[in-house]
Amino acid sequence: MERSWTPRAGAGGEPVGNGTSALAISNLAVTYGRVAAVHDVSFEVAEGDCVALIGPNGNGKSSIVMGIAGLVHRHGKVAIFGRPAPANDVSFMPRHGFTLVPERRQLYPQLSVADNIVLGCYSRIRSLRRARASEAHRQALELFPELSKRMAQKAGTLSGGEQQMVAIARGLAADPRILAVDEPCLGLAETVSRRVYEALRRIHEAGRTLLIVEESPTRALQLATRQIEVRNGVVVRA
Amino acid sequence: MKLGNLIISGIVTGSIYASFAACVALWYRVSNILNLAVGDFAMIGALGVDNLVRVHHWKLAPAIAVMLAAVVVFGYLYDRIVLRLAQDGRTRQEGIVVTFFFTFALSFFIEGIAELLYGTDVHAAPAVWSGQSLSLGGGLHIDRAGVLVVAFAAVVGIALALVLRGTLQGKAIEACGENFFGARIVGIDNRKYRRLLFIVSAVLACVFGILESPITGYTYNSGAAISLTGFIAAAYAGFQKPGKAVVAGLGIGILEALLGGYVSANYADTILYALLAAAVLIRPSAMGLDVVLE
Repeated sequence: MERSWTPRAGAGGEPVGNGTSALAISNLAVTYGRVAAVHDVSFEVAEGDCVALIGPNGNGKSSIVMGIAGLVHRHGKVAIFGRPAPANDVSFMPRHGFTLVPERRQLYPQLSVADNIVLGCYSRIRSLRRARASEAHRQALELFPELSKRMAQKAGTLSGGEQQMVAIARGLAADPRILAVDEPCLGLAETVSRRVYEALRRIHEAGRTLLIVEESPTRALQLATRQIEVRNGVVVRA
Repeated sequence: MKLGNLIISGIVTGSIYASFAACVALWYRVSNILNLAVGDFAMIGALGVDNLVRVHHWKLAPAIAVMLAAVVVFGYLYDRIVLRLAQDGRTRQEGIVVTFFFTFALSFFIEGIAELLYGTDVHAAPAVWSGQSLSLGGGLHIDRAGVLVVAFAAVVGIALALVLRGTLQGKAIEACGENFFGARIVGIDNRKYRRLLFIVSAVLACVFGILESPITGYTYNSGAAISLTGFIAAAYAGFQKPGKAVVAGLGIGILEALLGGYVSANYADTILYALLAAAVLIRPSAMGLDVVLE
């Protein structure tokens, strides 16, 4: 799908959900061995929404998004645009339009910035040449022009803010319809955090559904159209 | 002339080391497990083909095909049964146990099978390209098996470099080695690559064993020594870079041949490993070992 970072016509810069269910979570539970981090969580996210998943640290927010992405052991049902997602297939969610930008970025530090970003295309394109030429890859780079001089540099040598930009660009290279961003400003300076949120705002205005996980909700709630509060692994407010 | 022949001999030996080093480094890249059984796949390939041809009177081509198929099936089953339990279960095993002992045990297992099936004598697969040594002029000679070993090592080295540098799958393999969790986030199924590369490295080792055994001959316990040379060369590339491992393997082979020719044939290995140990102590970062130790 061809997209640009220009706000959609008539959206007024603040797109809201169109009612179509983008993500439906029911009775989600996430366990690590015998430790249950998430219990019986259910919620829906409409296409075009920007949802803030908020709550104190260690209360299961990250486990919820990792459970949705199929990265941790989970029970319950996850459906993306009506399609049920299998629990043990890590490629299913990115292939069907859900991409996670994880907490602490999880980049490949010894690979170049260019390689980190192009690997975001992996779930939908298997040719390096086509991945580099893809519209989503081009737009991911376009969103962060400050990375253009760093493309050959190893990702591990970048500053925290630049690494966050690479992580978001890698997520966008997958051409997601839903982008989940876990603690996007963790450890970043105020000015860098503003830059990251500016990028998230543009991503949302371009029509993508956003799920933002934040411990301190002030900034997320300025962008979010809805909030879901998680405490002790359960949703207390949706 | 002596120097030239020593270098040729060193290149052949170095190609063998390089190939096994590439196999070790390639799989370590994606699984973080050191394949200490890679030499045993070479040994079982050579002895298996020898047994089928010499004892059961098979033709060479079907014997090779059957051994390669057997290695593929075994590699697949080992991944599905053993490695899957160790790495993919709900209680994922990590650290030195997985890094070393799973394939160390596999090495003993294959050795035991080989001793049972093929006995303890030295054997070699029939030469794929038989005949006298080739003369390169100026008194320089090279075994035909040596030519095949060097050619195959070059083809494998170039193919690996092209795949790792020029394809998205190659970059996915690198990503698996860099960050297991980060690779899964973009949808890379590292289990699939772990299985695929275990089978590929086992098959490559098997082919090298078949090609190389006419030069050195193998017995049931030759695999450990081969794995060790591959392990050392891969160590000099920090276990991370198959390309560097190939260069290190070639370098070790040539150095070993020169030491054997000019210093002492009996003590060539001892001197070589003393030099390598000294190099590691002096500059671990240059060898990439700091990464491994970290």
